Amino acid sequence: MIATILPLIGRRLVMSVLILLIVSLLLFLVLHVLPVDPAAMSLPPTATIADIEAMRREMGLDLPLPQQYLIWLSHVIHADFGNSIHFRRSVLSLVGETLPATIELAVLSMIIAAALGIVGGLVMFHVRGSRKEPIADLGSIMLLSIPEFLWALFFILIFGVALQALPFTGRLDPQFRLPQGTGFLLFDALAAGRLDIFWSAFKHMILPCFSLGIAFSPAIMRVLRSSLIDVYQEDYIHLARLRGLSERRILIRHALKNAILPTLSLMGVQFGILFGGTLLVEVIFSYPGLGNLMVDAVRNADLPIIQAVGLAYCVVVLIINTVVDSLYLVLNPKLRVR
Amino acid sequence: MDMLIAKDLTVSASLHGERVPVIRELNFSVAPGRVLGLVGESGAGKSMIGRTVAQLLPPGFAVTRGELMFDGQDLVRMPFETRRELLGRDIAFVPQEPLSGLNPVLTIGQQIDEHLARLDFGNRKVRRDRALEMLDAVHLTQGASLLGKYPHQLSGGMCQRVLIAMAFASRPKLLVADEPTTALDVTIQARIVQLIAELQRNEGTSVVFITHDLRLAAQICDEILVLYAGRPAEYGPARAVFSEPAHPYTRCLQLSNPAMSGARRGLYTLPERMPGLSAIKGIEGCLFAPRCPNVTEGCNAAPPPVIDVGAGHRAACIHPDRTAAIAAPVPAAIDASGLGTPLMTVDGLSKTFTTRHGLFQRSEFAAVKDVSFALHGNEFIGIVGESGSGKSTVARMLCGLERPSEGAVAIAGRDVSDDSAATRAYRRDYVQMVFQDPQSALNPRRRVASIVTQALEAAGTGTGAERLARAEALLSEIGLSPEMALRFPSQLSGGQRQRVNIARALCAEPRILIADEIVSGLDVSVQAQLLNLLLRLRRQRGFAMLFISHDLSVVRYLCDRVLVMYRGEVVESGPTAAVFDAPSHPYTKSLLAAVPPDDPSAAWAPRSRDAEPALALGAGL
Ligand code: SF4
Repeated sequence: MIATILPLIGRRLVMSVLILLIVSLLLFLVLHVLPVDPAAMSLPPTATIADIEAMRREMGLDLPLPQQYLIWLSHVIHADFGNSIHFRRSVLSLVGETLPATIELAVLSMIIAAALGIVGGLVMFHVRGSRKEPIADLGSIMLLSIPEFLWALFFILIFGVALQALPFTGRLDPQFRLPQGTGFLLFDALAAGRLDIFWSAFKHMILPCFSLGIAFSPAIMRVLRSSLIDVYQEDYIHLARLRGLSERRILIRHALKNAILPTLSLMGVQFGILFGGTLLVEVIFSYPGLGNLMVDAVRNADLPIIQAVGLAYCVVVLIINTVVDSLYLVLNPKLRVR
Repeated sequence: MDMLIAKDLTVSASLHGERVPVIRELNFSVAPGRVLGLVGESGAGKSMIGRTVAQLLPPGFAVTRGELMFDGQDLVRMPFETRRELLGRDIAFVPQEPLSGLNPVLTIGQQIDEHLARLDFGNRKVRRDRALEMLDAVHLTQGASLLGKYPHQLSGGMCQRVLIAMAFASRPKLLVADEPTTALDVTIQARIVQLIAELQRNEGTSVVFITHDLRLAAQICDEILVLYAGRPAEYGPARAVFSEPAHPYTRCLQLSNPAMSGARRGLYTLPERMPGLSAIKGIEGCLFAPRCPNVTEGCNAAPPPVIDVGAGHRAACIHPDRTAAIAAPVPAAIDASGLGTPLMTVDGLSKTFTTRHGLFQRSEFAAVKDVSFALHGNEFIGIVGESGSGKSTVARMLCGLERPSEGAVAIAGRDVSDDSAATRAYRRDYVQMVFQDPQSALNPRRRVASIVTQALEAAGTGTGAERLARAEALLSEIGLSPEMALRFPSQLSGGQRQRVNIARALCAEPRILIADEIVSGLDVSVQAQLLNLLLRLRRQRGFAMLFISHDLSVVRYLCDRVLVMYRGEVVESGPTAAVFDAPSHPYTKSLLAAVPPDDPSAAWAPRSRDAEPALALGAGL
């Protein structure tokens, strides 16, 4: 098993490095054509032209572009993203504080999307050919056409404002302080033995995660349903019936195990998109994650943060894809080389 | 008491709101320990009977009359759960496609264990021991390592053995085997059939053996039921049905199957094909009447009654006494004359494939090793061998679809080993290929006319009207009506598609045709039509052919010379009659011995695995 996954991971690493290089180049170039002057911005408004010129030289902004890129790249490789122009803090620590929050949000959303998708797919498969099929079909298409920010607004209006059942801003109730640790709030709260903090954090995640999860579930439903329909055409299902296995066993042990493969590769692709989708949801729910950091940075033309956050998104998506592909390899014996 | 009894069994399908009987008034019984053969061509309804036993009919199908009794219980009317209890326990099934019959994501061990657990075979340890015993009983050695393997890591023959082991695990009273060997190589086919027979004898199981091969049925069955369009045509003791067929259809089926021994005889060609569901509705009398050589007016008046023609031997025909008079045509002589200079010479042809494992390892596999032969004008050469013998790779190299690793090919004196545009054009002028699977070889979005004249279209020859006329001429030459020109491939039957495929190759007036398994998977009567068509076309227009096939009897009928390939090498070659009558290489002998003999009373002794250890390994078991 390990022997078959290692080459894949090796190939993925090489690819990832190439992709990251290209993305970093793009980030670098795009930000350089923006009409902002980082030297002027990092100085107080009273600075003279001469001060700005000196600052430019200090920041290396007078060097030719390729050289600037190489210098920036070598800093990045040494995990030195510089200081935020706006917050006057190290970019690395800013990203380090917000990235776990976003990962937490994305993972929980994906779990919800997968759970809803699988249950929905099974229901849709179950009603196929019956009179309820058009209803289920319509339902899934409706789900498919509502984007996550609309769900977010619905949920805020219904559960937040009207019912006042769930909080819809931030990560924690104001009386709590963030526990020290990894930055993964649910984990840190449990590690510190603070169930009250855990519960508060969990309540804060319900609405944003469901907004994302529901928006991403219908595609999973539809793929699972159609791959189940395909699998049920296979000889081994027919033969399992001829062996007298119960329909439930056939579904769980024979059909689902095969039908989950295409569904899984879809979820891998989706997870990447979902991770980007957290940005909007974070903004709507004022959730202090990577997305809000990015929005602030863009608003303030805070170039070092924009670059670092852009790279962080890219790295996370690449890692997710590698994990999903490895999982796929583990679950599909046909892809394993003997 | 009989194990399985069908009384007036009728299964109907709903077609455009109407009920059409797919199986009508079937009567048979299988005694304990006996083997009933259900014989017929595709569409005859034989697989439907297996599905009826399990009551797993396709949507829209239902038993509308009669009954099907298993061991005194009514299979059709019993509650679902009662029947499910019987399935896999008292009634077991062996499928047609062993590879797809096993779940690809579960190991062999998991699948056997699941079955044993359902049969309440005790704890995991007991079940594992039992699984090993079972694998041993079906002659799969190294059972322990097999248990951890996935189906795709096994050959088709091994998968079928696993499925047979599972079927017999519960010592069932009834086994339904639906074409269990059709998807396998000849030598493996023989061993699988014998394995089923051996277990059946030991356990006293009753067997329903579904097959399209009358010769095979005669060899292993006690009784035979011949089906035609869902109706019983003939029923009786296997020997009697085979040696003295009373129904014209049985007789014609036999005469359209090429013989493996004795003088080469002509093949009987049944016209047209079996009526489909919608056609059945319109036929008042005997369903076979449109194709029957003995048809009289009385046949079309009413469905023929089933009459006794011997001890336990019945036929649904009003003129059974005239059946014996149906004779095969005189064979078209094999034209061995005119072997002047060779049209194509193949010298030392080899092909090595390299596969990569992981990042660094690679392994080489010699698919074809040092193959040499010469093909003369008007000569038909057969290449026989099992899957993996390299015969198809030879064909692909000769067509230029694959580059030889070594060796030279010359056509009409010119070397065609290089890959230049001029050589390719030259090769195209001489050689055309007909592929195995007409379904995928024909573009579904093009009409037949444009498929057939593709070569002209590509060369920009002629106007549209001229090409249509040419297509119509070609179609009538290959025995299809010219109106077919405007149809799409999906509107044709399998045999018709293969004819279109041949017409397309002939359109370019090639002097050499390379045909890769073009009759495999077709029904016997359709196969006979195609073989006779090829012989007639050779007489009329003259061409040479390289005919790749796994079916020895077909090659014996069609080809002047034969090459026997085994593991990439030609192990024996010569005039067909000489090679088949007096084979010298042990592999040829085992191939020939694997074919059921023409005479059902002759002993069928396919060589056992132990007698030919090295060869058996290569054959995939
Ligand atoms: S009943 Fe007539 S048409 Fe039918 S098989 Fe007999 S002879 Fe032929």
